[in-house]
Amino acid sequence: MSTDFDVGDGTTFSWERWDRLKESELFVLAAATGFVVLFPWLFVRAPVVSDLLLGYGTLAKSIIIWSIFAVGFNLLLGETGLLSFGHAAFWGLAGYGAGWVAIYSYGHPLLMILAGVVLAAAFAAVVAPVLLRLHTVYFAIVSLAFAQTLFWLSREPFNQWTGGENGLTRMEVEPLFGGVSVSEPLPGVLGTLMGSWMYLLIAVSFVLTIVAVHRIKKSPYGLMFKAIRENETRSTFIGMNVWRYKFAAFVMSATVAGLAGALLTVDTAFVGIRRLWWSASGDVVVMTVIGGLRTLFGPVAGAFVYKWFGGVSDGIPQIGQFWLMTLAVVFAAIVWRYPDGIWGLFTRIGGLLRSLGGDRT
Amino acid sequence: MTLLGEVVRFTFLSLSITSIYVLVAIGLSIVFGSLKFVNMAHGALYLLGAYVGLFLAYSNSGVEGLLASYAPLGLEWGFGAALLLTPVVVGVLGIAMERLIANPLYDRPMLDQLLITFGALLIVQEFVSIGTGPSGFTYDRPAWATGPIPLPGIGTASRWRIYVIFLTIALLAIILLFYKYTDYGLAVRASTEDAEMTRMLGVRITRPYLLIFAIGAGYAGLAGILGGSTFNVDPQMGIEIVIPALVIVIMGGVGSIRGTIIAALLAGVTFSAVTELWPSMATASIYILAIVVLTLKPQGIVPSVVLEE
Repeated sequence: MSTDFDVGDGTTFSWERWDRLKESELFVLAAATGFVVLFPWLFVRAPVVSDLLLGYGTLAKSIIIWSIFAVGFNLLLGETGLLSFGHAAFWGLAGYGAGWVAIYSYGHPLLMILAGVVLAAAFAAVVAPVLLRLHTVYFAIVSLAFAQTLFWLSREPFNQWTGGENGLTRMEVEPLFGGVSVSEPLPGVLGTLMGSWMYLLIAVSFVLTIVAVHRIKKSPYGLMFKAIRENETRSTFIGMNVWRYKFAAFVMSATVAGLAGALLTVDTAFVGIRRLWWSASGDVVVMTVIGGLRTLFGPVAGAFVYKWFGGVSDGIPQIGQFWLMTLAVVFAAIVWRYPDGIWGLFTRIGGLLRSLGGDRT
Repeated sequence: MTLLGEVVRFTFLSLSITSIYVLVAIGLSIVFGSLKFVNMAHGALYLLGAYVGLFLAYSNSGVEGLLASYAPLGLEWGFGAALLLTPVVVGVLGIAMERLIANPLYDRPMLDQLLITFGALLIVQEFVSIGTGPSGFTYDRPAWATGPIPLPGIGTASRWRIYVIFLTIALLAIILLFYKYTDYGLAVRASTEDAEMTRMLGVRITRPYLLIFAIGAGYAGLAGILGGSTFNVDPQMGIEIVIPALVIVIMGGVGSIRGTIIAALLAGVTFSAVTELWPSMATASIYILAIVVLTLKPQGIVPSVVLEE
């Protein structure tokens, strides 16, 4: 990509301007907002498109929530190269945190989200000293060990608080502002586009997450993460405090995962024990990798493909049972041959079109 | 029951669980240590072992999924035949896995290996699940492999557990002797120390690798039968064993067979003890053990190989 300062005459379109524009925060903000506003309409209500996709409202919400989770996960795996097989811990724990606030205190949606996020971040800060001394496989397996321990702990010894196998129910999600319940539809055109207040809450969280992750990635701070990914030993040699940056990346990633987990609780008013099970961690790994590691919107594409495949193909006989198998094959193929994932494919097609249009950068 | 009887019973129980762990973990450990290849798909071999054994030994009427219309399905050759043949079949599958999946990945970063083999494990798991249905099967062991053996003056011990333990000891002895006293074993040990140097000295290590991979696969396949008749048989069993097995390998110290055996013993004893006292935490106890061990010794119990990216 060219980073020329020669911008052309300022009125006509040029690829250089586009390349700089699309990296700017304002553009990312606009793109994320545009996507998240139009997505449920396209997916659920739009003529033709929604019929083709067989989308429905609950699935749209679930896709955006999982997108937040995957974007947060990618902040760790994509930027620092640390593979956590235990992100279910933050996802699930935040879900419980949100539920506990609603049951034992007051179930204001924002309070629930705050509680979930704080709990996830706190747990990450507690386990980090043990985990961050370990490398690759050690890190992956021990993070999984922590998550599985949490699962078994909440299944029986603490079932008084977690509801065990039955999950955490009997929580009351209070109105958002001025007596508006989260399940109520939005007024006017917003309601047509996005549906309920709950979706708006999820959408705002999504946009904030995307912008925050984008800012981290573009900052000198985020550059340090990449340095660690490329060569940890060398990063130490040049005087970086590697541990501190890994700690920061880990806690930030857990915080975003927690945000997603808490949102799910606010949405469903239920926390199932399966959220802590390893398969939630596996799902987010698969989504992120399919979508494209190290990209900002890749995990969103991955979450869409994964949830859409799982949610829609189930209803189609003959192929329904093969969905997970298909995704596993795609997943393995992507890691093997095409590490940039779906988003990389988009970028490549875009580049191809540009070179057809005569752009040689 | 007397105290001595209790102690004997507990010893056999924990040793039989250790046996299953060690049979799965040993192949993982050798491949991980010498080839620096982390193989989540090793769990698929355990899974396939259990199912191959099941269909060799019995006629299964509980088959669901795509094969449901062929039920009852199976060769009915008996449990003994399954015990003998399954390791061979899974060993051959292991050779195929080495050639097709492991070999192209040896030079890739460990993260890629972890992800791709995880994908491979999911594929096999779904394959089995679609073919025979997601629900479980049970092993009905024949009379010669069930019931108690009286131990005079002490009490009784489960006949099956004793068989499992002695079979495992014999198999461990075989692989250790192979490792220590054959040229192939020497080549594998040398490349565990320094793969580049070994290759530079003109040792052809592909064959020994292939053989050791196949042996590890065969052991995992056998463990599938032993584990299948101790725990349960369902498509999830592969991932459910490979995680504790990886935990054991890492806890023991990568590249050290001794470490793996010690760690498997620790895990087996912990698992059995917690099963007695607090059954719901049995599975978690291994993870907690691993967290404690790796916090105290980040390189494992017997550190030998330093892993780099």
